[in-house]
Amino acid sequence: MYSKGATTAAGSKSVAGSSSCGPLLRARGIAKSFAGNTVLHSVDLDLHAGEVVGLLGENGAGKSSLMHILSGGLHPDSGTIEMDGQPTQIGTVSDGIEAGISFVHQELSVIGALSIAENLHLGRMPTTKRGFVDFGRMRSEAGALLSRVGASGIDPRREAGTLRAGEQQLIEIAKAAGRNPRLLILDEPTSSLTPHEVEGFFAYVRAARAAGTAIIFITHRLEEVLSLCDRLVVLRNGAIVSERRPAETTRQQLITDMTGKPAIYEYRQRQLRETTLALSLRQVCDSDHLENISFDVREGEIMGLFGLVGAGRTELLEVIHGARPLASGEMALFGTPVRHRDPSAAVRNGIALVPEGRKTAGILPQHSVRENAAISSLRRFSGTLFSDRKGDVTRMEVYRHRLGIRMARDTQPISTLSGGNQQKVIFARALMADPRILLLDEPTHGVDVGAKSDLYEIVVREAERGLTVLIASSEVPEILALCDRVAILSKGRLAGILSREEMSEDRILTMAFKEH
Amino acid sequence: MNQSLSFIRDLGKHREASVLAMLAAVAIYLSFASDYFLEPRNLLNVGRQASVVAIVALGQALVIIARGIDLSVGSVIGLSAVVGAVLMRDTGSETIGLVGGLATGLACGVVNGLLYTRFRINPFIATLGTLSIARGIALLMTGGIPVPFGGFAEFVGAGRIHNIPVSFLLMIVLAIIVHIFAVRTVTGREIYAIGDNPKASRLAGVNIHYIRLFVFALCGLLAGLGGLILAGNLASADPNLGMGYELDVIAAVILGGTALSGGRGSIIGVIIGALLMALLNNAFVLLGISAYWQVVTKGLVIIFAVGLDGLQRRGDDD
Repeated sequence: MYSKGATTAAGSKSVAGSSSCGPLLRARGIAKSFAGNTVLHSVDLDLHAGEVVGLLGENGAGKSSLMHILSGGLHPDSGTIEMDGQPTQIGTVSDGIEAGISFVHQELSVIGALSIAENLHLGRMPTTKRGFVDFGRMRSEAGALLSRVGASGIDPRREAGTLRAGEQQLIEIAKAAGRNPRLLILDEPTSSLTPHEVEGFFAYVRAARAAGTAIIFITHRLEEVLSLCDRLVVLRNGAIVSERRPAETTRQQLITDMTGKPAIYEYRQRQLRETTLALSLRQVCDSDHLENISFDVREGEIMGLFGLVGAGRTELLEVIHGARPLASGEMALFGTPVRHRDPSAAVRNGIALVPEGRKTAGILPQHSVRENAAISSLRRFSGTLFSDRKGDVTRMEVYRHRLGIRMARDTQPISTLSGGNQQKVIFARALMADPRILLLDEPTHGVDVGAKSDLYEIVVREAERGLTVLIASSEVPEILALCDRVAILSKGRLAGILSREEMSEDRILTMAFKEH
Repeated sequence: MNQSLSFIRDLGKHREASVLAMLAAVAIYLSFASDYFLEPRNLLNVGRQASVVAIVALGQALVIIARGIDLSVGSVIGLSAVVGAVLMRDTGSETIGLVGGLATGLACGVVNGLLYTRFRINPFIATLGTLSIARGIALLMTGGIPVPFGGFAEFVGAGRIHNIPVSFLLMIVLAIIVHIFAVRTVTGREIYAIGDNPKASRLAGVNIHYIRLFVFALCGLLAGLGGLILAGNLASADPNLGMGYELDVIAAVILGGTALSGGRGSIIGVIIGALLMALLNNAFVLLGISAYWQVVTKGLVIIFAVGLDGLQRRGDDD
């Protein structure tokens, strides 16, 4: 079924109009592991001039590591890279740029205080004869670059920090385009773009392809790769599991390739005995984003919260958790009206959060595993002024088994654990606070497939014990695997609620796009 | 070159040990270089000199561990001493004078904390402002003329119990209390947590506003106590008292291994850092080196200490 061996020949056939000699880039046997955790097993990949390759795979499949290796940001443990048939050492990112490889990262690196024109010319600003910056030339060049990527509406004199995330993304793409790369790597470039911006961006990709650029396009949006790419490569657990032509495959087949099974985790039908309302929201608004959101969550229910980027998932969780002020509307917890001024009040009231962004908002990097797990429940278990250190040890042991956290000692720094294990510690932290409602914000971002299904198992088990769970996710399969119901947000409004029977990927996505 | 760098980096990892080693090295050198150094009178004097810096550094350490900084401690020392002395002079009551001095320190700390938590002013800027304001008030209250300050304050500042300076004993007692507070109490552990990652701590349910306000208030209170000791020692409250102390205090904290980036540091290290600063001061006096060199050396010591920190953490930034 997989056509791994035959790609080289098949790949070059698709290159219409470009030279018929070997591939632009040939990677062989690329392997990489971090602290004993193998992320890439001997990957072979060929890229041809004038070809758009869609790279698919779940989070943790090894896409980013592979792209960092190709662009010089990471060194492979073994394997070779050839460009134009010549073995190449791409030691650093600047080596990669030198060799004509540009990588547009998912994380934006636009410098907010500089103008767009300055951002686009960072490190290579044109100067006048007297040695001053030639602003006029920089502006006109910036304007030309912006219209190439379909953003001609943006004034290059504007401060970059005033742009929306989607516009900033276009700036990043224009920055890469300005280098006229031979290989352009785009990591989730469309996640924050509006449909109109996506069209302009696609036009740029097609033009670059016609000009002979090889393009790697990473995305989770299957429709986009199916319509844009010449070839689709699927990575799973650090190995290439399939290479397909868009015309000869289906979404379902690609999902199966990516996850290894039709669904990563099967939904288990659960009978909700409880009819108690754990959380009810009425006309909830924050100061700038959310508008009149009302819904109820029953005790023991797993409620999904789905939306595209900017839909307000995180904002809504922040309001419930007290991190963002509730501007108007009502919120009730088990029938009692509440209004939290600070997350500390919410945690005392039994609302715990596993935040999005494990590194920035989750872990205390200099603290041990045990201290990380205990931080939410210090006050709960301390009868006096002093913290309950013996109890912390016991509780850590309990949760280590309950959540299957793999570690040598609970005194080791949390930063020495793998991403999945760190996330389990953050789960342990939330559960130790003995919450009545557990809020999960993108709980499986950046964890490997194994840890992902462990985390799903934990969520379902805790819900069966009566814990109410509200899970915000941008991954439809995650919602389908876990949730009893899903609330779909679109541009800060509630677009609708789907029950288990009504839930399907198409309906969820259609609703999410409603306001767009 | 590389080897010596990695040696310095290893030193940085056990900062209390390395500062203790520096302390020992300076002490051994001085015991050979000066006949007078090992005299009990001199050693006790060093202890007394270290005590004010150390007591104020206890509060400063907690502020820095919580990822803040308090530049105003030197001025708070001066203002607290002046308020204490003026109240005592005008009411004739020692108690009112002492309580008033401590309350002034606490109030300054609370103001710093509120500027940070309520008005969201970066603590560096907020305390730079109060540094100037507190010094100005002290000068206004006295017209620039020192106020006599005796009685109990003099006992705390200059008195001795069994020949040991009272302020040194006070430093030891306070250091033990603050150490236990920092490592054993819930609030203490939350201070370390918010210094390590404030956003994560807030989302985990730590009341970061309360903790920040608390550390600044405590730092102010201890600076107030430092002011009473210093003025009591001189039996006079000079409105310029404590000028430049923030530098010594912050240097002691950083020398003792507390990370300016927060989340890391120990009280034992702070005390050793303060003793080292006092020993260096003593060295200049004993060896008869110009006091101007002392100022230069203080700066060098600070750069060396922070440089250790930078070398050790180099991997994080690249």
